[in-house]
Order: sequence, then C-alpha cells, then structure tokens
Amino acid sequence: MNSGIDLQGSFIQSLQQLGIPPEIAKIFWLPLPMVLMVIGAVVGVLVSVWLERKISAAAQQRIGPEFAGPLGVLQPVADGLKLVFKEDIVPAQADNWLFTLGPVLVVIPVILSFLIVPFGQNLLITDLNVGIFLWISLSSIAPIGLLMSGYASNNKYSLLGGLRAAAQSISYEIPLALAVLAVAMMSNSLSTIDIVQQQSGYGILGWNVWRQPVGFLIFWIAALAECERLPFDLPEAEEELVAGYQTEYAGMRFALFYVGSYINLVLSALIVAILYLGGWEFPIPLDSLAGWLGISETTPWLQVVTASLGIIMTVLKAYFLVFIAVLLRWTLPRVRIDQLLNLGWKFLLPVALVNLLLTAGLKLAFPIAFGG
Amino acid sequence: MDFSSTVASQLNAGVILPEGLVIITLMVVLVGDIILGRNASRQLSYVAIAGLLGSVVALYFQWDNSQTIGFLGGFNGDNLSIVFRGTIVLSTAFTILMSIRYIQQSGTALAEFVSILLTATLGAMFLCGANDLVMIFLSLETLSISSYLLTGYTKRDPRSNEAALKYLLIGAASSAIFLYGVSLLYGLSGGEIRLDAIAAQLTDLSSGQSLGVAIALVFAIAGIAFKISAVPFHQWTPDVYEGSPTPVVAFLSVGSKAAGFALAIRLLVTVFGQVTPEWQFIFTALAVLSMILGNVVALAQTSMKRMLAYSSIAQAGFVMIGLVAGSDDGYASMVFYLFIYLFMNLGAFTCVILFSLRTGTDQIAEYSGLYQKDPLLTLALSICLLSLGGIPPLAGFFGKIYLFWVGWQAGLYGLVLLGLVTSVVSIYYYIRVVKMMVVKEPHEMSDTVKNYPPIRWNLPGMRPLQVGLVLSLVATTLAGILSNPLFNLANSSISNSSVFQTASTPVILSESIINRQSLSE
Amino acid sequence: MNLAEGVQIVSFGILAVMMLGAALGVVLLNQIVYSAFLLGGVFMSISGLYILLNADFVAAAQILIYVGAVNVLILFAIMLVNKKEEFKPVRNRWIRQGATALVCVGLLALLSTMVLATPWAVDTTTVNASSTIIQIGKHFFSDFLLPFELASVLLLMAMVGAIILARRDFIPERKATTTEVETALTLPERPRELSGS
Repeated sequence: MNSGIDLQGSFIQSLQQLGIPPEIAKIFWLPLPMVLMVIGAVVGVLVSVWLERKISAAAQQRIGPEFAGPLGVLQPVADGLKLVFKEDIVPAQADNWLFTLGPVLVVIPVILSFLIVPFGQNLLITDLNVGIFLWISLSSIAPIGLLMSGYASNNKYSLLGGLRAAAQSISYEIPLALAVLAVAMMSNSLSTIDIVQQQSGYGILGWNVWRQPVGFLIFWIAALAECERLPFDLPEAEEELVAGYQTEYAGMRFALFYVGSYINLVLSALIVAILYLGGWEFPIPLDSLAGWLGISETTPWLQVVTASLGIIMTVLKAYFLVFIAVLLRWTLPRVRIDQLLNLGWKFLLPVALVNLLLTAGLKLAFPIAFGG
Repeated sequence: MDFSSTVASQLNAGVILPEGLVIITLMVVLVGDIILGRNASRQLSYVAIAGLLGSVVALYFQWDNSQTIGFLGGFNGDNLSIVFRGTIVLSTAFTILMSIRYIQQSGTALAEFVSILLTATLGAMFLCGANDLVMIFLSLETLSISSYLLTGYTKRDPRSNEAALKYLLIGAASSAIFLYGVSLLYGLSGGEIRLDAIAAQLTDLSSGQSLGVAIALVFAIAGIAFKISAVPFHQWTPDVYEGSPTPVVAFLSVGSKAAGFALAIRLLVTVFGQVTPEWQFIFTALAVLSMILGNVVALAQTSMKRMLAYSSIAQAGFVMIGLVAGSDDGYASMVFYLFIYLFMNLGAFTCVILFSLRTGTDQIAEYSGLYQKDPLLTLALSICLLSLGGIPPLAGFFGKIYLFWVGWQAGLYGLVLLGLVTSVVSIYYYIRVVKMMVVKEPHEMSDTVKNYPPIRWNLPGMRPLQVGLVLSLVATTLAGILSNPLFNLANSSISNSSVFQTASTPVILSESIINRQSLSE
Repeated sequence: MNLAEGVQIVSFGILAVMMLGAALGVVLLNQIVYSAFLLGGVFMSISGLYILLNADFVAAAQILIYVGAVNVLILFAIMLVNKKEEFKPVRNRWIRQGATALVCVGLLALLSTMVLATPWAVDTTTVNASSTIIQIGKHFFSDFLLPFELASVLLLMAMVGAIILARRDFIPERKATTTEVETALTLPERPRELSGS
C-alpha cells in the first residue's frame, strides 16, 4: 500500500538539519496543520457562500453577485468585512455572558471536527482511533450553544428557535450515528483513514455508496438536518420565527453563527465524501494506473501528484455535495416541525436500524464484499 | 480457537436460564400487547404468570448444580441465590394475580404494567446472583428504575406522582452513595470487580486500608438499607406505600426487600468478611431502630397501607436479627422468614386490594363489621395479620421463633428481648384490625361496609384475585404446621452455597475465568 | 520531565480547576439555568480527564451522552418550565446553610483523609492505547457480557416507562353504576381528607 508522503517527518528532519532538537522541532510543527486547516475552513466558507449565491441566482434565473471581483468572487469577503464593522448590539435585559458564549459554543466544535478530516494518506491533523465518532460527539455540543443563545436573547422567537434547533439536532443524530455505524462495521474501524482505505482498490466501484445506498441517503438527509439547511431550516424559519435563535444577533456574533453554519455544511459534505464517496480516491485506482505505466510507487513526483490529486478529489466531491445541497434548497419546500420529527423518529430511525442489521447480515454472508 | 468460541465455551450460560425465561416472557408480553391490542392484556398477564412458573421450574432443576459460576464470574447461581430468586419470582406471580383487576379498574394499561413488573423481577433476580460490582449495580438500577416507574403508574393521581418523585430522588441519592462505596472497593482492591477477588485483596487491613474499607462499608450499607427500608433510611416507605398502586406496594415489600437481603448477605459475607464485627454492629443498630420505630409508629396509623408500610419496616428489623447472628443458621432463618413473609404479606395485600376495589377506601376504621358482609375476606385478612404478628400456630410464629432462637444462640440477648417486646406491640395493632372486623355489632358497622356491594367473583379479573387469596391463605395456615420441608430447604440452601465457604477456603474459581492478560492482548 | 509529561500535568491542572469551579457553580449559583449550563462544563472537563487517561472512546462517549443528550434534556426541561416564582425567604436560612456547609466540609475532610491514608493498589501494567475500542469490545463480549445485555433490557424498559408516563392517555369516564370502584388513572383509594365521612 502506498503510504504517501510524510510531511511531518520531513519537516522535523529538515529542522533538525538546521540544528534544532527534535522536541522543539515538533513544537514548531504542531500548530502548522491546525492553522492551515482553519485557513482552509474559512476559505471553504467563502467559496461556499459565493457558490450558494451564484447557484441560487442561476436557479432563479438571476445573475447574482457580479461587481465585486470577477464573477463576484469577492462578494463573500465584502459580506464578512461588513459584519466585522457592524455595531454589536446586545438586547436589553439579555444575559450578556450567555449571549456571547452561545455562538462561540456553536462554532468551536465544528472547527474542532476538522481534526479528523483526511485529504490523503498522511494529510490530516490526527488519525484518531475514535475518528468519526469524535465528529458525532462533537456535533452534539452545538445544541447547547443554540439553546444558550436562544435563552440569552430574551426573545420568545429566539427561545423557540433554540428549542427547535436542539430537538432537531438530537433527533437526527441517532439515524446519523446508525448510518455511520454501518460503515464503521464494514471497515472494522472508526478511523477515517481506515474507512477510506477500505474503499480503495477498485476505483469508483469500491466506494461505499454502492454498498450502502440506503445508509448514504439516510446520512445525507440527517446531515442536512444537522446543518439546518433547507428543507430542514425550521429553527430559523423566517415566516414563523423571524430568524430563530439568530434574531437578536448582529455584527461579529451573528457572523459566528453564519460562518458556523457554512463550515458545518462544508464539513458534512467532506464527511459524506469520506464515508461514502471514497475520500481522496480517484475514480480510477491510481496505484494500478501507475503499475500499468511502469512507474514505481515510491517515485517522488508520483507521490506529489497523488497527494495533490487526493486533496483535489476530496474538495471536488465535497463541493459537488454542497452544490446538491444548494439545489435542494430551491427545489424542496420546508417541512413542518411535526413532519420533521415524524420523519426522523418514525422513518429514518427504523430504516437506519434495518440498514444496520442488513449490513451485519451481509458482512457475515459475504465477508469479501462487505469487509471481513 | 478464535475469541468468540473461547468465550462461548466458558460462559456457562445455563445458570441464567430462569432469568432467560423471564426475559422471553417479557418480550412476549410486550410484543403481544403491540400486536393483539388492549383486549388481550388479561390473557397476556396469564402468559406472564405461566412464564414465571416456568422460571420456578427452571430454578428447581438448578438446585445443587455443581457449576454455579456463570459468565466468567459475573453471576453466581448457587443455592442461596436460587432460594432468593424463587421467592422473588413467586412474589411477582402473586402480584400479577392481584394486579389484573386493580390495574384495569384504574383505567391504566395492564400489559405495560406487567412488563415493567417483569423487568423489576429480572433486576431483583440478577441482584440475588450478582457476583461482580458492575452486575450488582446494574441489576440494582434495573430493579430501582422499574420500581420508580411502577410507583408513578397511576399518573393522574397526585399521591402517586408524589410517591414516584420521592422514591426517585431518595433512590437516586442512595444509589449514588452505594456506587461511591463500591467504587472505593474497586480502588482498594487494585481494580478487581469480582467479589471473591476483592475479598482476596482486602486481607491486609492494618496498613491504612482500614479507613477506606470502613467508609466503603458504611456507604454500601446505606444503599442496602435503603432497599430494605431499615430505619433511618426508611423515610420514603410510608409515602411511597400510600401513593403507589397497591400491587406495587406488595411487590416492593416482598420482592424488592428479598433482593436487598440477598445483596446484603452476599456483599457483606464475601467482601466484608474481614470487618464482620463492624457490620454486625451497624446492623444491630439498624435492627433496633427498625423494630422500635416501625412497630411504635404503626400503632398510630389510620390507613391500612401506611400501617402495613410501618409493619414492613418492623419486619425488616426482625429479619436483620438473622443477619446479625452471622451463623449459617442465622442466614437460613432469614431465608425461611422471608419465604413465609412472602405468603402472609402478599395475602394481606390481596385483602386490602379486594376491600379497596369494592369500597374505594383503605382506612382501618372503615373495616368495622366486615365480618357480616364478607366472611372470606375477613378470615383471610385476619389469618394473614395474625401470622404477621406471630400468633401460633400460623406460619409467622415459626418464622419468628426460628429467628429469635438463632439470635439467642448467637448471644444477642438484648436484640432478641427487644424483638419479643416489639412483637407484642405489633400484635396489638394487628389485632386491632381483626377486632374491628370481627367483634363489632351490626349497628356499629361503618357506612362503607353498610353499602358493601354484593360479592361477585365472576367479574373479569376477579378470579385470579380469588385464587391468590385462597392460595396465600392456605400457605399461611399450613406453612407453619408443615414447615419441616421449608426448614430443610433453607438450611441446605445455606450449607451448600459457596459464599459461606470462601471465607475459610482459598479462591478456587479462578480456572473458569479467562485470563485477563489473554483478553488484553 | 519531557514535553509530553509537562503538557499532561498542565492540562490536568487546568481540567481539574475547570471541573471543580464548574461543579461549585452548579451547586452554589442561584439561577438554575446557569447551573445547568455549568453542568455541561463539568461533563466536558471530565471528558478531558478521560482523554488524559488514554480512554479516547470513553471521552467521546461522555461528550455524546452527557453533554449532547443528558444536559440538553435538562436544559429543555428548564426552558419549557420557564416559570418565575418568588419564594418567601426562609428565616434563619444561614443556620441551614451553615449546617450543610459543616456537614459537607466534614465529609470532605473524612474522604480526603481516607484518600491520603490509603495505600492504593495501582495497576502499573500499561495497556496498548492504540486499540481501546477493540479492548472495550472484547470486554463487552466476555466478562462484561451479562451487564451489557442486562443494560439493554433496562434501557428498553426505561424507554417504555417514559413513554407510558409521558403519553397523552385516553381518560375513561367514571361509571357510577358499577358495583365496584372505577377510577380514571388514579388510585382506587380515596384521599385521606375525603374518606373521613
């Protein structure tokens, strides 16, 4: 198996050659991937905001942003700058502490979850044992933040929005976790690296989406609900609740929510790509391609090409899913709260359980195809 | 050999066959209720009784089983646990008999009630045989949580709500304390969870371990004393007994209490064998307080359920004499008394249920003159109450005499004398009810009894009540006279159990346990 | 002391202070919402301690279950019952508070003496930390098999019970004609105040 390039190893080695002891070198290395990932996440948000605007416009036969930069690509930056300079208002009799802490608590877990998103064999911050489970458990912190901001706003709509958001998040976490469990069962591991590697070898045919079509759909629906995207954006349903828990927020605090929701969307799309669409794998298995062409796996330029292709593939798959999410926004009507809960508890949950059972049975019956 | 077959060959899963039957019954009731609807719930409760009786049969065939340790040390199905499990299963079967009519009359769902009751039974049964700390805590919680649910089952009644809430809060607190004590044991023994392994580690008490063991002991006893409602951990009892549906009270007073005593015997004898004088002292205090307070306060009660609540506190005090005696005979007398207590107490509760179903009250004053209207009920209630009071030749007398005799043998003169005195007090308040029912002239009859409805046993759900009434009446009357088999049963259950031999012989069970090292590879 | 140990000690200190502070806040604060939010802080700090103990799966499960489910439910309950009620100040409240504090400090002293006096048997064998999930799985299916299965029964019944207590019931009408007592989801015994007649 191609182990890819070891950035950390080579970085520390090069620092050591400069005469720096390995421990200090490691300290220098530690923040690098994290900073890189945060920057990547922010850029991802800007891109997806721009995509959202452009695709929405196209769906409605408008042009969308066009003046700020070529094709309006700088529009999200302009939005962000506006939010930074806006006045930060705290409503009267609101709870100042909780009002500030709420959005922070919503954003931090989402950013932390990028810890486990791999872009290549060694291109991730940390290959945790619990991998995908960490993402599930971190995403369960967000409802606390939502409840907090809903409560602290001193506004009925905010409180209702916060309660709705928490209820929705709790309900859809269960089918989500069950769908992930089926995948984890096939890969015998929770680690994201192992999950992707288990899909490699047969190109596009080996991806989990063929083996877990039901799980894929459940996961995508539940992930949309977790991100509060249409058709599940009840917590901020503007016709009913003004803007839900965001009603009273302005300026930077609002920006946190805004950024948080888009990071969450990108993150969910990345996770779907990893779990079901083969992660960084190219649709044609690169190893065998290199084998046919007679190129050794350890050739440095091939490794660089593989790594960059891996990053590109992951991002492309993720943005394809973001594209679908935006299209869904303009094709589906919003569900009612009771329909939402019915769908979650009475349909997705049993189907996810059956899917899990079926996967277990298939794994016992055909250990070759479903991970022995 | 791979992992699963290695484990499967050592599980010895047959020891939990009785529990397995209860689980299957539980599933049948639950799923059957979903499929068949509410109309079938009475048939389902008969199914539940059949399952429980099947469980008793399974228990009978496990008697004197040579392989008692199952699940790699998690469960010990020795004769001691079989006796206690049998008591619990029987009490549940009786409880279901008396609850069919009661629950249906209150408009609540019967099948769910039965299934929660079966879960409580399951927890209590596992508690009797639990051999490691995790198992003990988990089965304790199964029993407790089901009990909270049952207590609040008549959910539109504020008394029931209050009872459930009180029980939940106090129970959660006592579980937490128990868990803290048990976690200390885990730490003191260096990470062992099996009771015999812990006991093997706690041998050296001189070198600073004594304080830790003492605190663990006190905390564990606090948890156990809550379950058996010994004074001063009894405050929940009267309110919970008054507010719960009466069949639940019957189960709590017998099944749950028996499980608590089983836990007490196993935990104290196995783990705290080194500090036997200390726990015997604590239990002496608990027994003294329970007997005095239970019996004296019961005198002042006007409600039948509350009176039985205090009487059950007092009875727990009597049973504790056997525990304090600390000999094989002492434990045998506990088993014997609990078995008899099962019939007489459940019989009394059946009568209380019957009366409250017909008249809608459980005030003691309302019972006056019942003899003229309902002789069977009067007879059964009188016999059961007199037996509870310990009047010869009824069963309760023999149970008490055995307890007191054992206590006297063990040199607990003060405790036995106090038991005798408080027994006399208890006879007073039991006889008060009997006198109320039997002696009154027709013109002294209470209004309720004057309007007593005609006795009809053919109403739906009345037949099982009648069966339960007659059975407990017969058992209470005859168990005293024909008590020899029961004596032998109790004695052999104690003498054949490994619990009481581990104190003298080294641990010999380890070969059936897979090596922890091989697991952690 | 190398880098890893230093980081461990410092993070243990931070987590312990966070946990104790949050726990004190849960108990001492007057507003119940703050207590509930701080409880979430306690749970998260405990999860941090689990990570320090190399128990990564337990840490993640702690967050998922306690923060994501238990604490959110507590908050739900508090926010749905958002009823402001002014309580009468209890006279001589300081006596009660003082007594409580005394008992608590006494318990703390007792337990700390015990903790310090006891020679704890520490298991020094290091477990291979790279496969905690596999370890847990093996234990679940060998020596913890029975508790594991019992827990499933317990959870099933807790769910059934919660649904029974929470569902909207059909309330039968009380029929006065029958010979026996029939009630609507209440006890057949009359309350004590009514039964005096």
